[in-house]
Amino acid sequence: METQSEEQAVTKPADSGGEGGPPQVAGAQAARPEDRMTLLLRLLRAQTKQQLLEYKSMVDANEEKTPEQIMQEKQIEAKIEELENEVEEAKTAFEMKKLALDRMQLSTALKKHLEKVDIKTSVLMDNMKQILNLNKLIMKSQQETWDLEEKLLDVRKKRLQLKQASERKLLEIQTEKNKQKDDLDSMENSDKIKAIQQNLETEIQITTVIQHVFQNLILGSKVNWAEDPALKETVLQLEKNLTMI
Amino acid sequence: MSALRPLDKLPGLNTATILLVGTEDALLQQLADSMLKADCTSELKVHLARSLPLPCSVNRPRIDLIVFVVNLHSKLSLQSVEESLCHLDAAFFLGKVAFLATGAGRDSHCSIHRNTVVKLAHTYRSPLLFCDLEIEDFRAAMAQRLVRLLQICAGHVPGVSALNLLSLMRGSENPSLEDL
Repeated sequence: METQSEEQAVTKPADSGGEGGPPQVAGAQAARPEDRMTLLLRLLRAQTKQQLLEYKSMVDANEEKTPEQIMQEKQIEAKIEELENEVEEAKTAFEMKKLALDRMQLSTALKKHLEKVDIKTSVLMDNMKQILNLNKLIMKSQQETWDLEEKLLDVRKKRLQLKQASERKLLEIQTEKNKQKDDLDSMENSDKIKAIQQNLETEIQITTVIQHVFQNLILGSKVNWAEDPALKETVLQLEKNLTMI
Repeated sequence: MSALRPLDKLPGLNTATILLVGTEDALLQQLADSMLKADCTSELKVHLARSLPLPCSVNRPRIDLIVFVVNLHSKLSLQSVEESLCHLDAAFFLGKVAFLATGAGRDSHCSIHRNTVVKLAHTYRSPLLFCDLEIEDFRAAMAQRLVRLLQICAGHVPGVSALNLLSLMRGSENPSLEDL
């Protein structure tokens, strides 16, 4: 590919202490470049070590053969994930070992220190005592928290139980009401009621006919029914329309 | 013209070189200036290029970190980056490559969807950084980040290697990447 690619390089010098710091005393200036030199040398040493490590690991990596067969993309992805997981595991294992080593070093240093120092007055002892006190406080507060949480849990359980009981009661009420309604409906539709209704109707009709007959009897006899209060009452009662009852 | 290899040259003393690849010259220049202004104990060298492969006529030091700058506003930058990626040796992708997507702030101008760059970074297993290079403060912050990244990739930080950093950065990635 012959694409036109511009390339520009810009550089910047190291600025470890070189850029306008506060003015120094002349006598200290002689020590300054030596300090800088040692600092720089230490820096370079660390860098070279790290870079050497990188090159070595690349050489080791190149010695391992990569599988050249053509695999599907999914398989390649799966393989890559596997390898990444291996890297992660190696890293964590290393970190664990480093931690264990640090702890061992710390404990030996601590032991040596304790052997040298007078136990009653050292600052370390004060720190340890403070730590123990704080730990006790922490444990106490944690226990209190735990108790409170238990209480909260109990209250919540009770609330749930009450809710469930009320739900059951309401359900019962509802079923009862529904049963009543159903009974009522069925009653209305039952045959007995129909038969009774029929009977009632025929009776009403018969009574109405008898009423009319009596009415006509009294009117036909041309008696003055308005004068006699008992007769008047009878006539008026016959006027009552029985279907309205 | 051969592909760029990561470890084929010896490193310079206390020197770290970064290569910024992208089609937006102004942005690259500004980013380079910000990086040089950032304080760092090692000597920094910033190389800019529009695309790979680089002409082999120039004598250049070992490149420690390559950052591909993709402007989300232009499809051309994505295309050119994708084409340049073919000219890199596979060993580079073990932590010495990073993608930088700029222009995500102005969503109305974005012609490339964010997921495209995310997928690209995922395919190449490299970290993806987002930064609006046009805003000064963000640029300065990103320059600082890149300087630290560069120091680690150049081996100037004892105890951390580029591959180590890669797996560290992967941990904070969005886990929904697997749904893509």
